[in-house]
Amino acid sequence: MAKSSKHYDDDDEAEEVDEEEAEAEEVEEEEEEPEEEEEELEEEEDEEEEERSRKRKFKGSQFIDDVAEEDEDEDDEEEVAPRKRKHRRGSEFIDDTAAVASDEEEEEEDEEEDFIDHGNEIVEEGDSRRSHHRPMLPRDDQEGDVEDLEKFIQQRYGRQEYEEYDEAETTEVEQQALLPSVKDPKLWMVKCLLGHEREAAICMMQKYIDCEAQNQPMLIKSAVALDHLKGYLYIESDKEAYVKQACRGMRMIYSQKVTLVPIKEMTDVLSVEKKSVEIDQNTWIRVKTGIYKGDLAKVVDVDHVRQRAQIKLIPRIDLQALAAKLEGRDDMKKRPKPAPRSISIQEVKDLRIPVDRKRDGATGEFFDYFGGLMFKDGYFYKNVSLKTIDAKGIEPSLDELQKFQKPGEDGLEAMGLPPAAARTRGQFMKGDTVVVAEGDLRNLMGIVEKVDDDSVFIRPKNKDLKGTLTFKDRQLRKFFKTGDHVKVIAGKHEGATGMIVKIKNYVITLLSDTTREDIDVFSSNIVESSEITSGITKLGDYELHDLVALDQSTVGVIVRVEKDGFQILKGTPERAEVVPVKPRDIRRKLFEKNLRSQDRDMNVVSIKDIVRVSEGHYKGKEGPIEHIHRGILFIHDRRHLENGGFLCVRARACLALGGSHRGFERPVSACTMFMTKDPSRVSYGLVVIAGNFPRGRGGFRRDDGVVGRTVKVRMGPFKGYRGRVVDATDSTVRIELESQMKVVTGACDPSVGHQLDSFLLLESPRYGAGSETPMHPSRTPMHHPAYTKDYPGTPFHEGMRTPMRDRAWNPHTPMTPFRSNEWDEANPSTWDSHTSTPQYQPETPSGRPFEAPTPGAGWVSTPGASFSEAGTPTEPASSFAAPSPYLPGTPGGPPMTPGITSYLPGTPGGQPMTPGTGALDPTSPAIGSLEPESRWGLPDIVVTVRKPGEDAQLGIIKESMPDGSWRVALGTSGAGNMITVTESEMELVLPKKTDKVKIVSGEFRGCAGKLMGIDGADGIVKLDDTLDIKILDMSSLGKVAT
Amino acid sequence: MVSHAAQVPTSFGRELRVCLRCALVKTYDQFKDSGCENCQFFNMDKDHDRVLECTTPNFAGVISCMDPTSSWAARWLRISKFVPGCYALTVTGELSEEMQAICEDNKVRYVPRS
Repeated sequence: MAKSSKHYDDDDEAEEVDEEEAEAEEVEEEEEEPEEEEEELEEEEDEEEEERSRKRKFKGSQFIDDVAEEDEDEDDEEEVAPRKRKHRRGSEFIDDTAAVASDEEEEEEDEEEDFIDHGNEIVEEGDSRRSHHRPMLPRDDQEGDVEDLEKFIQQRYGRQEYEEYDEAETTEVEQQALLPSVKDPKLWMVKCLLGHEREAAICMMQKYIDCEAQNQPMLIKSAVALDHLKGYLYIESDKEAYVKQACRGMRMIYSQKVTLVPIKEMTDVLSVEKKSVEIDQNTWIRVKTGIYKGDLAKVVDVDHVRQRAQIKLIPRIDLQALAAKLEGRDDMKKRPKPAPRSISIQEVKDLRIPVDRKRDGATGEFFDYFGGLMFKDGYFYKNVSLKTIDAKGIEPSLDELQKFQKPGEDGLEAMGLPPAAARTRGQFMKGDTVVVAEGDLRNLMGIVEKVDDDSVFIRPKNKDLKGTLTFKDRQLRKFFKTGDHVKVIAGKHEGATGMIVKIKNYVITLLSDTTREDIDVFSSNIVESSEITSGITKLGDYELHDLVALDQSTVGVIVRVEKDGFQILKGTPERAEVVPVKPRDIRRKLFEKNLRSQDRDMNVVSIKDIVRVSEGHYKGKEGPIEHIHRGILFIHDRRHLENGGFLCVRARACLALGGSHRGFERPVSACTMFMTKDPSRVSYGLVVIAGNFPRGRGGFRRDDGVVGRTVKVRMGPFKGYRGRVVDATDSTVRIELESQMKVVTGACDPSVGHQLDSFLLLESPRYGAGSETPMHPSRTPMHHPAYTKDYPGTPFHEGMRTPMRDRAWNPHTPMTPFRSNEWDEANPSTWDSHTSTPQYQPETPSGRPFEAPTPGAGWVSTPGASFSEAGTPTEPASSFAAPSPYLPGTPGGPPMTPGITSYLPGTPGGQPMTPGTGALDPTSPAIGSLEPESRWGLPDIVVTVRKPGEDAQLGIIKESMPDGSWRVALGTSGAGNMITVTESEMELVLPKKTDKVKIVSGEFRGCAGKLMGIDGADGIVKLDDTLDIKILDMSSLGKVAT
Repeated sequence: MVSHAAQVPTSFGRELRVCLRCALVKTYDQFKDSGCENCQFFNMDKDHDRVLECTTPNFAGVISCMDPTSSWAARWLRISKFVPGCYALTVTGELSEEMQAICEDNKVRYVPRS
């Protein structure tokens, strides 16, 4: 009769405590009447309660059905009605046996052990609760019902069967229905010994049992110890007095002060926040103690029983120190905490630290043991107590995670990041679309209206729900759709914007607007935004896409700027090696110096030129060159989705294409051939012979060491001249010639590079349009096969024209210095090979280097062949020194040089105005080039007139016009029309043997004579005045009309 | 004679475990020796592995429930139908599928406590 009697005893005890109850015992014998009376008194209260509980039950509709309602009604009646009715009621709803059992009160003893209320049906919950209530309330004024109550209780619990697990037992009652009411026992708060809350609660239980055994039960209902509330214990009881009574004698509880918890706050007491993230396998944790304090670790295995876990760490091991220790020469020096880094076993072995490889019994995996520590794959495995690790609120940074990431794994999912870590506080903003993530309203969508601390007010999108709902921010998560344009507001990608392309739980993948790369971010870290930003593009001195030097030999392009570092694509061709780099690890920014390089076909490529990768891993990729560094190109291919579109390739693996090289591909073969095979490559640069002349790869630097030195010109028209350097730039020198009292400018180095450069420049429209072009005339006949493509009519002379050369050498029009310099720098090898070309003969003894065969140029077979005989530089040559803006880009069109006789590039024929050759004559002083006034035309000589669009006609020069042009009478005998012709429109007619000639250039200009014979390009002329025989260049002879 | 009440935990430290179904708090050894008073069908006392399967050390808060039937707290915590004893306020973790099936076999509805 334990339980029932206990309850009975409870009452007794209560009576003892309550003075009033003393009387109750007396009245106890009279049973029925007082009870009825009492019940009537109570009626009102009951009704009230009834209503309340009914409301409650309506709320929890699952919980109560109609029968239950009825039951409730019955209960009401039952309270007023005699006991018979109770039984009837019981038999109506509950099984018969139970009813019978309760009928016979004697049998109750047998069932006492089954007091446990497991089997209670739902309908009874209200009942049983009230049945406990009721006796308490009336006890004060009425005691007669005690026995009755006893029976009542017996009847209730007697029916229970232990094994009868009712479905409804743990029914999903809405918690709301269980809210405390005034009828419920109250919660009282008492102080207790700090740190002994749990112990106090458990001891209270023990005390209760002990007291019960002594038949002095305590009247408290429960004792609650909260883990997070130190020094307090809650006790549930109806009366403060009971609490004090219960606490009596408990040494860890101070019951002097007992505080009532307001009803409204009662639920808060019990609504304990869920225990922090459970430590489980693959949970990220941080170590709380030791040298690994604060380090991120991954749980490998956890033993909750022993409260231990095996964790995986990035080792902080000083191998040197360990080795020293093992060898017994521990210097006992206090060492700083070693930096975390992965350890390779080979490295350990190299230090002769003994390594054991053992199989772990539990997992069957191999571990390496050394120094009493366990390692695997470079990680350190450590067994720790769960107390020494912290799993709460771990937010691993990406850097940390990457260290744990195996090469194969990818993405945050693989990192096993718990979604909880993805949640941050204060993530919601007004207007955000959110979804309820937990609770009854799960999956409800809404729009944030207001955020107040951690409460978020949302307006539900459901039309049946009106008004604003309030949630804790942890109950919500942001809602995004694929295709939304968002901005990242936190984390390493902060500031970036992009479009959502994938949503996977809390991890959202964006397609960044700037880099066109996928970015994984947490949904809490992004907000919807139409803004398009590039994210951060600058950090410190470095900007996105800068070329920077990482160390002596490593360069890289910044492909992403992050919050506190960069992602740098290293300059390793064919491999996309991206490294995270902190600003302080960058040595310097490499400034663009208009570098150039050569592609597969030796085309010069420079920054912004579009190239296509023709071989290797990136074959087919194409885009503009962003950076050049030592033969490596950084190309930006917008269709390349990695590394911000950047790729790094060898220049030799690329092929230039696109607008800047139009027309270039055609002459490629010619020029290639020229560059690589032509044996007659000759350079015209000034080459200095003064001793110890500093000769860097790029020629002269502008340094004062050069200036003032005496040099000797090695090539070109001034070959052999000595002079003093008055100025020097990277690629040019200005030399004051000793014998000429002139200052000339020349390339300071054998100008192979320069020459190629010029050639290429001429090809490039971008340069052709510019004023630079005139400064880069090709000065070698070898050039024109390529570049005269545009001037089919004059395949040979273009390149040889003096004007260009002269201009090039003209001190007043210095050459573009940087060109050749770059060339040199970019192509050191080219440079070298060219300088060593045998054809490069500084001391070309003969004056006709161009006699050398120019393959493919057809040089020898042309009428101009005769001109290859070095002749005296003629006046016409100098006349071209006039600043005629020779525009290679305008083929056929006369150059527009107002006021000065223009020189028509399209001059065919082999008249001796190939000053190029003349100029090449080492013996030729080429003074003429410095006499702008001079022209080659002379009265009476026969010329071929070529007007654009007209057939060539012969004519005889009659007189000079003040503007530099000539009046020419057409016809072989001068009988035709008189026309005005510029010098560029006419050509000398090649005289034949015994023809009367006039010398048009050179020191004998103007002299008349007779051509006695022709020897190659030279003509033997007998001068009329002196009867001297002179050997002159054929190109300087004009036939005189007969 | 207090046979109806659950065993009172014999320690207060980390040895404590909680029944995943009923949140009863006892030590590991107690579960091992006498099983869970509310969930006898788990037969933890007979099959000791079940102790690990059906209980967890991850819980927060302890409530000593002397009179579950009349206690509001017990009702609120859904332990009012269980035997008096010490229970956890919150339990982390859920029963495994297998154990849930056992609940079903015994006509006990399992509602996760976490």
